[in-house]
Amino acid sequence: MNRKDLLGLRDLSKDEITEILDTAERFRNVSERKIKKVPTLRGRTVVTFFMENSTRTRMSFDLAAKRLSADTLGFSASSSATKKGETLMDTARNIDAMKPDAIIIRHSAAGSPHMLAKEFPWSVLNAGDGINEHPSQALLDMLTMRDHLGDLDGKTVAIVGDVYHSRVARSNIFGLKTMGAKVIVAGPGTMCPPSMAHLGVEVRHSIDEVLDEADVIMMLRIQRERLQPGMMSSVNEYSRFYGLDLERLRRARPDVLVMHPGPINRGVEMAPEVADGERSVIMEQVTNGVAVRMALLYLLLGGEPMGGDDHAS
Amino acid sequence: MPAETIHLKGGRIVCPATGVDGVGDLWIKGGQIVGEADAGGSVTVIDCSGKVVAPGFTDLGAELCDPGKTWREDLASGSEAGAAGGFTTIVASPRTDPVLDTPVAIADTLNRCMTVSGARIEVSGALTHGLDGAHMSELGLMVDAGAVALSDGRKSMMNAALLRRSLDYARPFGVPVMLRPGDTDLEGAGVMHEGDVSTQIGLRGIPAAAEEIGVAKGIALARLTGAKVHLSQVTTAVSVELLRTAKASGVEVTASVPARHLVLTDRAVDHSVYNTSTRLLPPLRSEGDRDSVRAGVADGTIDCVTADHVPMTSLEKELEYMHAKPGAMGLETAFSAALTALGDIRTVVVALAVKPAAVIGREACLSERSVADVVVLDIEAQRTVEGPYRSKGLNEPLDGTVLSGQVVATIRDGCIIYGPHAG
Repeated sequence: MNRKDLLGLRDLSKDEITEILDTAERFRNVSERKIKKVPTLRGRTVVTFFMENSTRTRMSFDLAAKRLSADTLGFSASSSATKKGETLMDTARNIDAMKPDAIIIRHSAAGSPHMLAKEFPWSVLNAGDGINEHPSQALLDMLTMRDHLGDLDGKTVAIVGDVYHSRVARSNIFGLKTMGAKVIVAGPGTMCPPSMAHLGVEVRHSIDEVLDEADVIMMLRIQRERLQPGMMSSVNEYSRFYGLDLERLRRARPDVLVMHPGPINRGVEMAPEVADGERSVIMEQVTNGVAVRMALLYLLLGGEPMGGDDHAS
Repeated sequence: MPAETIHLKGGRIVCPATGVDGVGDLWIKGGQIVGEADAGGSVTVIDCSGKVVAPGFTDLGAELCDPGKTWREDLASGSEAGAAGGFTTIVASPRTDPVLDTPVAIADTLNRCMTVSGARIEVSGALTHGLDGAHMSELGLMVDAGAVALSDGRKSMMNAALLRRSLDYARPFGVPVMLRPGDTDLEGAGVMHEGDVSTQIGLRGIPAAAEEIGVAKGIALARLTGAKVHLSQVTTAVSVELLRTAKASGVEVTASVPARHLVLTDRAVDHSVYNTSTRLLPPLRSEGDRDSVRAGVADGTIDCVTADHVPMTSLEKELEYMHAKPGAMGLETAFSAALTALGDIRTVVVALAVKPAAVIGREACLSERSVADVVVLDIEAQRTVEGPYRSKGLNEPLDGTVLSGQVVATIRDGCIIYGPHAG
C-alpha cells in the first residue's frame, strides 16, 4: 500500500482493503504468543492524540504499536494544551518538532485528520473524526466478517441505529460497498434520513424489515449522552422498533453474525442474552482490532519486512 | 500632479442605463464624465482598445471589520481591495465591534471614510442594537447621519413580528432594508450545504430549506409592509423560484447572490479536502442550485451580484472545519467570477453596477455629467486566482481556479484608484 495516511475508507480501493485485511490476518498470531512482540517498527515513534474520550480504540492502537516495538506516546484532551487555548495546528506543530513517525488522532471535528495530513510529513491515522469516519473500526469489522463469511462480495450487511451520526457506520458503508457487499441501514427517520441513499445503501425504518435478509446485523450504540433534542422520543420506543432481542434473533438467518462496535447499552439496542449469545462476535471484533491496527501501522510506516515465520505467519 | 482630463480611448463602452454598447471614447474631468468639447488641460490617455469601459461596480454588503477586528480588514485596505476588483462604491456592513447601530457611529465611520484612497465607502446601519434581533436601533437618525441602507448584516432576524415592525418603521425613511434570508434554528450546527456531499464527507448540513423559509418570510413581509426589502445572499433554486413568482405578482423586493456561488458548488468542500475557505454562510450549494441562480441573474430575477466580502485570517480559518468562522473574501474576484459564470458582459455590468446602485438610490451611468465612477475591463483575459491580495484576508475559496476577465483600471470621482496610472 503506497500511502502516507489512513484518513478514511471512502478513498481506499478493493485491493488496498484486501491487502490490509490479509496483512492483519498474518499479524493476528503475534497476540497469541507468549512474547507478544515483533521488532518491525523498532525505533519508530507513534503518538496517540485523542481529543475525544476513548478506551478501546486507544488501547488497541497503543497495543498494536507496542507489539510492533514502536515507541508510543499518549496525548489526550484532558492533558493537552488545547485546554490552554492552543489551536490544533499549533499542537501539531509542536508534536512535529519532536519528530514523530505517525500520529493516531481522534477528534470531534470531521476533517481534522485531513488537515494534519495535508500539512505534515508524518503518517496520520484517523481514529474517528466527528461523524465522518472511523476506518480502523470498519476494517476490523470487515476482517471479522471475512473470518466467518469468506468473500464479502454479494453478502448483505444491515446496520441498525443512529447511522447518520455514526462514523463507524459511514466507514463500514464505504468499505463494504467497495468490497461488493450490499448494505441496508435501519433506524428512526432522524437517524436514517433519506439522504443516506446518497451512500448507495437501502434505507429501512424497522429492524424487522432486515432480519431475514442480513448475513450480518451490526447494532450501533445509541449515544444517549450526545443525542440532540428531537432525535428520538424515548429509549423504550427505540428499543421496541430497533432493539435486537432473542425473539428477533430467532427470526434472523440461523447463521447471522451479530456485531457491535461497543460500548454496548445492554437492554437498549441489544438484549444481554444476544450480546453474550452464540451468534455474537463482538469480542472477536476487539481481538481483530489489534491485528488490523498492527497491519495499518506496518503498511503505512513501511516497517521492516516481516521476514517470514520469525515475525508473523 | 494628476492630469486634468482622463481620456479613455477606443474602448467598448457598455452602459446599460443609456443603452449604449459600442466602441467610442470617454472623457472625464472635474470628477464627472464630460463631452469632448469640455475636456481640456493636461490629459492622461488610457488606451482602452480591446477593453470594455463600464460604470464602476457597487457592493451592497462588505464586512470591513473597522472598528473592532481590523486584523481582518480596515476601511483603507477594504477600499483598496474594492478598487482592485472594479468597485467604486462599497456599502460597509454594520457588523463591526462596536456595531454600527447609532447615528454617531454612522457619522464617525463616514468621516473616517473620507480619506480612503480606493472605492468610496458607504455604510448601512444596524436594524437592531448590537445586531441582537430584538431591540430596534434609531433607524431614522442613522439615515439622517448618512446610512444608505439598514441591515443586521449576516444575522437573520428570526422574530417575524419584530421584523414586520422594523419594516413598517423603516419604510418612511426610504432606504432599503437588507436581510439575509435564513432560519437559524434550521441552520443549526450545520457547516455546509446539506446534500450528497455533506453525507459523503461527514459534515453536518444546512438544508436549502433554511434559506427558502427566510426568502418566503422576506417576500411575505415585503408584501405586507410595502418596505424596500433586499434579500442578500439568495443561493438556492427554490429561492429563485419564490422570487420569480413574487416579482411577477408585483412585490417590490430585490435580491442578490454572492459571485462565488455562481461558480463554486458544495463539491469544493470535498475537492479542497475540508479547506476552511469553503466554510461559508450561506454555504456553497449543489450544481442544480448554482445553475438556477445563474439563470436567475441572467433573467433579472436576482438583481445583483455581490462580493459577499468577509475577510478572515489564519486566526479564524486555521482551525478544524466546524470551528472555522464562516465567510470568504470576494471584492477582488467578484467580477471575474461573475463573468466566468454569466458570460455576457452586459448582464455582468447590470448585476454588479446598475442594479446595486439603484438599490441604494444611485445611478450607475456613463452619460455626460454623471459622477465619473468608471471601470475598464479586459473580458478576454484568463487569470488564475492567486494572492497577494490587497485585502488583509487570506480566505479566498476561488484560489487556484481559472477565471475569465480582469479589471484593468478603476476610476472613482474622476480619480484613477486602480490601474497603470493610479496614484
